Amino acid sequence: MVFSSILFMFIYLPVVLALYYLSPLKWRCVVLFVVNLIFYGWGEPVYVSLMIFSTVVDYVLGMLVNKYRANDKKARIFVLCSVVINLSLLFFFKYIDFFITNLAHIPAFSSLKPLGVSLPIGISFYTFQTMSYTIDVYRNDSPVQRNIIKFGDYVSLFPQLIAGPIVRYKDVAEQLNEREHSVEKFASGVQRFVVGLAKKVLLANNIGMLWDVYKAMPAEELTTLGAWLGIIAFSFQIYFDFSGYSDMAIGLGRMIGFEFLENFNYPYISKSITEFWRRWHISLGTWFREYVYIPLGGNRKGTLRTFLNIFIVWAITGFWHGASWNYMLWGIYYAILLMIEKAFLLNWLKKAPAFIAHIYTLFLVVVGWALFAIEDLGSCLTYVSAMFGGGAGFTNPTVSYYFMSYLPSLIIMAFASTPLGVKLMNRLPVKSRQIAIPVLIAFVLIISTAYLVDATYNPFLYFRF
Amino acid sequence: MKRQKISSLIQVILFLAFIGGFFIINLLTPDRTFSEAENRMLEQAPKFSLDSLFSGKFTTSFETYITDQFAGRDGWIGLKSFVELALQKKENNGVYLGENGTLLTRFEKPDQKRLETNIGAVSKFAGGIGVPVYFSLIPSSTEIWADKLPKNAPSVDQHELIKDLYLRSGANNVDTYSALYEHRDEYIYFRTDHHWTPLGAYYGYRAFAEAMGFKPSSLDSFTPNTVSENFYGTTYSSSGIRSVEPDKIVIFVEDYEGLSITNYTTGSAEEGVLYDYSRLETKDKYSMFFGGNTPLLQIKTGHEGPKLLIIRDSYADAFIPFLFEHFSEIHAIDLRYNKSSVRDYIAEHGIDEVLISYGLSNFVSDANVFLLGRQ
Repeated sequence: MVFSSILFMFIYLPVVLALYYLSPLKWRCVVLFVVNLIFYGWGEPVYVSLMIFSTVVDYVLGMLVNKYRANDKKARIFVLCSVVINLSLLFFFKYIDFFITNLAHIPAFSSLKPLGVSLPIGISFYTFQTMSYTIDVYRNDSPVQRNIIKFGDYVSLFPQLIAGPIVRYKDVAEQLNEREHSVEKFASGVQRFVVGLAKKVLLANNIGMLWDVYKAMPAEELTTLGAWLGIIAFSFQIYFDFSGYSDMAIGLGRMIGFEFLENFNYPYISKSITEFWRRWHISLGTWFREYVYIPLGGNRKGTLRTFLNIFIVWAITGFWHGASWNYMLWGIYYAILLMIEKAFLLNWLKKAPAFIAHIYTLFLVVVGWALFAIEDLGSCLTYVSAMFGGGAGFTNPTVSYYFMSYLPSLIIMAFASTPLGVKLMNRLPVKSRQIAIPVLIAFVLIISTAYLVDATYNPFLYFRF
Repeated sequence: MKRQKISSLIQVILFLAFIGGFFIINLLTPDRTFSEAENRMLEQAPKFSLDSLFSGKFTTSFETYITDQFAGRDGWIGLKSFVELALQKKENNGVYLGENGTLLTRFEKPDQKRLETNIGAVSKFAGGIGVPVYFSLIPSSTEIWADKLPKNAPSVDQHELIKDLYLRSGANNVDTYSALYEHRDEYIYFRTDHHWTPLGAYYGYRAFAEAMGFKPSSLDSFTPNTVSENFYGTTYSSSGIRSVEPDKIVIFVEDYEGLSITNYTTGSAEEGVLYDYSRLETKDKYSMFFGGNTPLLQIKTGHEGPKLLIIRDSYADAFIPFLFEHFSEIHAIDLRYNKSSVRDYIAEHGIDEVLISYGLSNFVSDANVFLLGRQ
């Protein structure tokens, strides 16, 4: 189930909120677990068993880690079990066919056939969450959870189940037992949800149609300007799609008392690639820093080792985004950029005029999206080469048509990629703000509903991950 | 502080009233079976079974169901297209909003494989059937009225496509394109429907007369008769754009004593009509011609002349009436609903001439034209 659907907004959510707030405090964790499973099982009921499996396994392993805390060797084995089981699940469901099809190129394995396993939604997110639990318990960063239902709530929590943010166990450990519910918190959740809804339904889906046009355009019609227009459209689409989804998750979390960490912080205003990755998909970056980069030694073991660690972490980060070579390439692209920045460029950028740093960053990020957006390596390279003059000329009338058609949308999105809107809002006198907010909420709800009812077009990009 | 709390409360109530309100309204409003505005059957409540749940069928059709049955659906769709146009978009759901409220469906690049199959079937048919075969492809309004399109709007060049297909048809090609293009300033297509108007069909008839070598009746010899001024057609439905004026339907050929029509709409022979006026009360007003889509029409005109078979789509409905005075019998087969052998039919009914007549977009996408190529 996705948030931006009639089903979620007008059936699931009202029913869940009613059940949640009408049931006594004690029972809320049970209600939550049941509705989480319904949310998850809606598309693929079979995979509910996977969710329950993950819950039970990591619950037991967490208890064992805690029990054998005194015996570090044993405790480590249980942590390792958790990591291996989670990664195996992820490997089997997400990557097995990728490896099979690639192995099949080798004569000895040419008889291998892809298994055609369908990807359980959100598996990339929740396996990372459950791993963080056993590791956090082992590191004494958080207490063990003795109530399996409450642990199940953590694993399957519907707001962030399928597209993050990736919530580390230690960040919500206390909230699982006790949360604050208040009108103010609920209202801020509503605001956040509505912001996310607008980003997803009104901005991302809209500009996504422009990207669809260019993604499908045959090479002989793809001009330089057209290729840039297309990939800029994708850059906006993926940002508003994903950050909109995170906003909705955070908003929904607040409606049921949870407080999640932020996942995006206006990434497109960054002045370096290093800064971009501190502002983009923050929860993933944090996860990799905490559970991979630092355990590898981080930057404490000399320059060479630091660079190697960066390379490893970013190759995996890329691969995490999808079982295809282009994601790996995209990760390595960033590894190289980050190394260059670490070596010298970051210092230069600090001294350079701000607009140069902005252009530098946006240029590289947008080129990066071209590597990300097209899975087939051949088509991907054709597209990138068109961006740099290797296409069918500089421009054509079709580009003018689409540019003019989407110009107002592009301007709105450029504005919405910056904090200016929030700043303006905060400048308003309190009284006007108290009028403006409900008006905006009503406006977004009504227009979004119109788009959802006309839902011939509502794909959701982050299902693959 | 208190003020802040009231303000928060207002937001919460607003949100809950919206989602909860529509939840309840949707429960209370009865389901509709058909959408007039969209001209299609709406999804109905799916039956629950464990099988359909685990195959994913249940959940998918449930989501379509609640979206189709959402209270005030038509209004929401109109609102969406209004917002799109306000954002300076020139199109919605693949339909351009052209000058004078003209809705023009974007002509997408045809599927090359399908196109090869279809034109191959025509050429095979024309080469081996033993009677003269005429071939007419009717461009869509998007091509003939290209000057009404939004500036630079992309659409495939249908003239090139027709020229290419004509080179390979192996039949006597009818220059319908030029006939329509010459009269592009007239009301030859509906503004809200993908068909040509009877006036457009009249120019198509002139092109066909020229190809076959008979003398067409002049336009003056007909008395135009406006039968509807309130026609919203298929492009109106698919575009979702609601801010356009309806079309008029003006017919030219009058019904007459001695015209005998047999229609096989239901699969067996029934007495048919030239104009089914009851259709003017429905959404699909274009189906007034012969009562709409049918597998087979057999018309005895009462006039002298050869027997004509038309292999056709719905464009022919507005076109056939003009042919009455030139043929003794007219037979019309729609391959979408009639899979029987055309070859046998020709032999059985002593057909003298064949016309293959399609709207271009139907011809390049239809999955049944290959039937012509069968031995």
